[in-house]
Parts: sequence; structure tokens; C-alpha cells
Amino acid sequence: MRLLVEARNLQKHFRSYHAVRGVSFSCYAGEVFGLLGPNGAGKTTTIRLLTTILRPTSGTARIAGHDVVRQPAEVRRSIGVLPENAGVYGRLTGREAIRYAGRLYGLAPDALERRIVEIADALELTEHLDRLTDTFSKGMKQKINVARALIHDPPVVFLDEPTSGLDVISARSVRDFVLRFKAEGRCVILSTHMMEEAERLCDRVAIIAGGRIRAEGDLAALKAETGKDLEEIFMTMVEQSVVR
Amino acid sequence: MIRLAWSWVRGAGGNRQAQSRTQETGAWVRAVYVKETLEAFRDRRSLLVMIVLPAFIMPVVTLGIPYLEQRQQHQISTTTPEVAVVGQAPSLIHMAYTSKLFTPVHTTDATKALRERRVLAVLKIPANFQNLVAREAQVHVGVLYDASNPESVAARARVVDLISRYSQAVVARRLIARHINPKDLLPVVMDERNVATQRQLSGMLLASLLPFFIAMWAVVGGMSLAVDEAAGEKERGTLESLLLAPPSREALVLGKFLSVLTASVGAVIVVVVAMMVSLRWGYPYVLHTSQKLDVSLPVGTAGVMLAVAVLFAALMSAVQLSLSIYAKSPREANQFITPLYFLTVIPALAVPYITEWQQSVGTYVMPVLNSFFTFRELLLGTVNWGHLMLAAVSSAFYAALAVEWAIMLMSRESVIFRT
Repeated sequence: MRLLVEARNLQKHFRSYHAVRGVSFSCYAGEVFGLLGPNGAGKTTTIRLLTTILRPTSGTARIAGHDVVRQPAEVRRSIGVLPENAGVYGRLTGREAIRYAGRLYGLAPDALERRIVEIADALELTEHLDRLTDTFSKGMKQKINVARALIHDPPVVFLDEPTSGLDVISARSVRDFVLRFKAEGRCVILSTHMMEEAERLCDRVAIIAGGRIRAEGDLAALKAETGKDLEEIFMTMVEQSVVR
Repeated sequence: MIRLAWSWVRGAGGNRQAQSRTQETGAWVRAVYVKETLEAFRDRRSLLVMIVLPAFIMPVVTLGIPYLEQRQQHQISTTTPEVAVVGQAPSLIHMAYTSKLFTPVHTTDATKALRERRVLAVLKIPANFQNLVAREAQVHVGVLYDASNPESVAARARVVDLISRYSQAVVARRLIARHINPKDLLPVVMDERNVATQRQLSGMLLASLLPFFIAMWAVVGGMSLAVDEAAGEKERGTLESLLLAPPSREALVLGKFLSVLTASVGAVIVVVVAMMVSLRWGYPYVLHTSQKLDVSLPVGTAGVMLAVAVLFAALMSAVQLSLSIYAKSPREANQFITPLYFLTVIPALAVPYITEWQQSVGTYVMPVLNSFFTFRELLLGTVNWGHLMLAAVSSAFYAALAVEWAIMLMSRESVIFRT
């Protein structure tokens, strides 16, 4: 399997606050890697470091072979990101919003229009494409953001709490995309605080608390090793991080 | 921006890598510009502020206020005020009636009547007025009026006029009795003539109005877009996705800056055109005057003014965008931009009163003021090309500096994720 994401001892300080304290992990093509942790654990900061939007205080990371500090432009072309609580441009139609993303990724006009049709079809967005996104439901808006993130067909996808605030049907639809991305051979990094979601989608997980990875590995191996289910492992790790 | 300009220069010189970088950045800037402008056109609020408001406000301001002033003047000049007369002076009162300067009335408490605005002035005549005049003594009459009431001030002027006419008539009678020609008292008679052309007079009118409105709308025209395009993106949660895309921060800022500038310049053009149209065609019609205003600007002057206005609007747009990038929310962005509005409008209002600065070279390198003084010179037809060049180059420099500031802010983690 091709190694697509490799984080090595990533650290990030915000003045006196040490948000990420040496995070290391790897993720391969066709794999869903879960970053599990309570709110404020450092999941979003880790994703922002890997997606070049924040610069690590120390440590390195490579995405699809490109260094996040030295080659940020190349990294950005290799990734699709769905940030936490991402919004939409309400005064653009679905098609215009996706087209805007495509232009920013430098797609040629013909190829872009073909890709919009293809991606809208896959996300069941076709009949709503020419409506202003302001009129969309939250789930529909999330689909537009997924389409924007995948317009350039990236090998690596980052999803930060993608089902947060969605109703059951929309959340299920987003989870289906995750499995589809995996089937397409993409490397998916998924941040979540929902155990059930992680158990259903992730091949491997890292439990983050207090800016550190407390446990990492294959779900089945973690369970076998500790004799606990994922939620119990999670609670134990989080409690330990608080005690420390 | 400086890097981009350097890359363009190298590209023009045949450097392939630089050429492709410039082309790529150009495509990104275009994409951002087109998207922001499209969103602005769909935003009724920005359209209202940019086009509808200036188009309606300008005729009201340029014609409505002078119209109301003229109406008041007309009312004052055509109505004969009632003035309370205390004392006896039949010849004087007769003259008041015949000249129709005011209508003399009798009242018990004249001062109270004046305070209650039942009469507009009071003329107090001494008891032995006629005798004193006949004996050629100096007579003192009193005039009471209310300075807080324009109609009373006008009535006072009419009483003064009557006293002056009466005095002249008395003097003329006395001189004739002494066989002296009254004209001998006026050995020098003045004949004055205004040599200013209609265009110069209109230029002065425009010079007192235009810089203020250009300053105002250069800020107001782009304000809602500047707020929406940076602080608005933060609030809607779209900024992070935008920054995750390949375009450099430079390209993103330039695209946004150009769309704010378009709105700002668009509003300035609408304001100037609305004002010129209302002055040229509305002035004689609304103000019932035979005086025609020659408010046309020669094409060359209009072109140079537009260029100076674009540079000024560029500085305003870049500063507004920078403040919006720094702000945590649209509300905070509005709070930052409001002082900028006053910082711009106040110098525009001050320019007609600090004309002595016009000769100083330093004035033309001062941001904001340089543009206003240049507008003034252009409108008064006293252009100094050295001043104009200095103002253009310094304005372009300040605008470029402000764009660089916006790019720097957009590149800072602490600004983007400011909480």
C-alpha cells in the first residue's frame, strides 16, 4: 500500500498554549484513519498542520510525498479538505460554488464542467445544482462542500467532524461517502468524537487527548489488546491524560 | 504584489517559469474577482448602497437643500413683515407704507409681541421726533429684533433700509434748501463687475462639493463588499476552505481587492454623474432661475479626475479589506471601518479652508489630502502637472502598501484564527 500521510512528532504552540505535543502517525491509500478525541484534544489543530493552514512549531509531515512546510502548494493540490463547520457561499448556486473551487484548483473549463456533472451525480446533487445554496438544507450544504473538496480528485481527503450538526439521514449519507472514498483508493483522515462513527468507518484510529496520541492502531488489535470496546478504551485514555 | 510585479517583469523578459507563474496567479485573481463580483451583484444591500443610494441622494443634496434655502429667501423677500411702531413719526410711517418695506402696527406691549413672534421687529421713535428733525438735530430711533429668527433679521434689515432712505430724503431736502446739489456728497461712485466666467463659478461650486462626495462614496461604496469578503468569510466558515486551495494569499487578496475597488469606483462614478446631471439640468428647473450652470467637465479633465479617484479609491479599498481581514466578525469590521470614514471625510471638508497648503509640495505626498487638493486644482482649472504627478505616484505607492498589508494579514495564522 502507498504511504500517503506521514506525520512525525508534530508540535504546535499558540503563545503559551501547547496545542499539539508530538503527534506521529501514518496513513495509506485505501485506508480510513480516525483521529478520536474529546473537544479541544488537538484533532483540528493536527488536521490544520497537515493541510498547511497552520505551520508546525516543530516536527514534519509529508502528504503524498510532499513536505507540508517546504512544499505547501504541492500538498494543497494533493488534498481535499472538509473543515469543521464549513459554510457555503449563499449567493452562489451549487454549480457556481463547485465551479469556483474548480477554477481555484486550475481545472480546464471543459474538464471542470464534466467533473461537476460527474461529482453532482455521485452526490445526488444534480437536480439542485442551479439553486442558490442559501436555500439548501444543512445536509445539502455539506454535500456542496464535499463536492468542492473533491473537485480536483485528490488522493488524500481530510474530514474534520463531517457529521457534526447533521440530521440522521444526512450523517448517514456523509458516512457512505467516506466508505466510497476508501473504495476509490483514497487515503481518508477522519476526525470525530463519536465512537460509533469511528467503529463503523475507520480501519485504524489514534486516540488524541491533551495534544498527544494516547493509543494508536488497528481497531480489532486495540480491542484484543485491552479487552475493552472502543468507548471504554477512549474513556480510559482521556481520563489518564487528565490525571497526567 | 511586488513579487507578482517582479515576476511579470521577468516573464515579459522571456523567463518561462516567471511567465507561467504570472499566468497562474492571473487566472486565480480572475476567478476570485468574478466570484466576488457575482455575489455582490446578487446582494441587494450592496447594490442599494452602491448605485441606488448615490443616484437618489445626490440630486436631493445638490438641489434639494439649495431649493429649500431659496424657497425661504423667496418667502422672506415677497412678504411684507409686520413691525410694531412705538411713538409718533407720521412722515416716517408714511414712507414705510408707500415703500412697502414693512407694515407698521400698533401694539400695547411691543417687546412681548416680538418675543411671542406676533410682530417681527419693533421700531421705537422718540416723543418729539418730528420737532427734532425739523430743528435739524440728530435723532436716535431704536430697533428691536430677534437674532434667532431669520424672518426677524430680515425685518430688521427692512427697518434699517427705511431709516437710511428717510435720512437720505431729509438730507437731500436740507441740501437743496442751502442750494447745494445732493450729488456733491458722493464725489466717487463705484461701478463693480465680476469677471469670473460661468465655468469658473461652476468649477468653484464643484470644487467645494465633489471632493467631499468622492471621499464619502469611495469608502461607503466598497464597505459592504470589503466586510463581506473577509470578515464575512470568517463568519460563514468559508475562509478556511478558500485558504486550503492552491492560490497564493497574494492572488486571493488581489482578487478581493479588485472587486472592492470596482464597487468603490462604481459608486464614485454614479455619484459624480448624478451630481453633474442634477446640477446641469435640474438647477435652472428646480431653482426657478434664469442662471444656467455650465457644469460640464472637459473629457481630459474628467479622465484625469477619474484616474486620481481610482488611485484614491484603491487606497480606501485596500485599507478597508485589511481591516476586514483583521476583524473577527463583520460587526467588528464595521466598527474598524467607521473611523476610516470620518478620517477621510473630515479632510475633504477642511480642504476649502486650508487653501494656503495648495502651494506646498508636501501636501501632494500626504495620503488622502493629496487627492483632494488635486481634485480642487483640476476643477478650478489651475492644474500644476508636477503636483498632479506627485499626487498620482504617492497615491499609487500608498495603495500598493495597503494591499501588501492586506496580504501580510491574510498570511498570518494569528489573524486568520483570531479569537
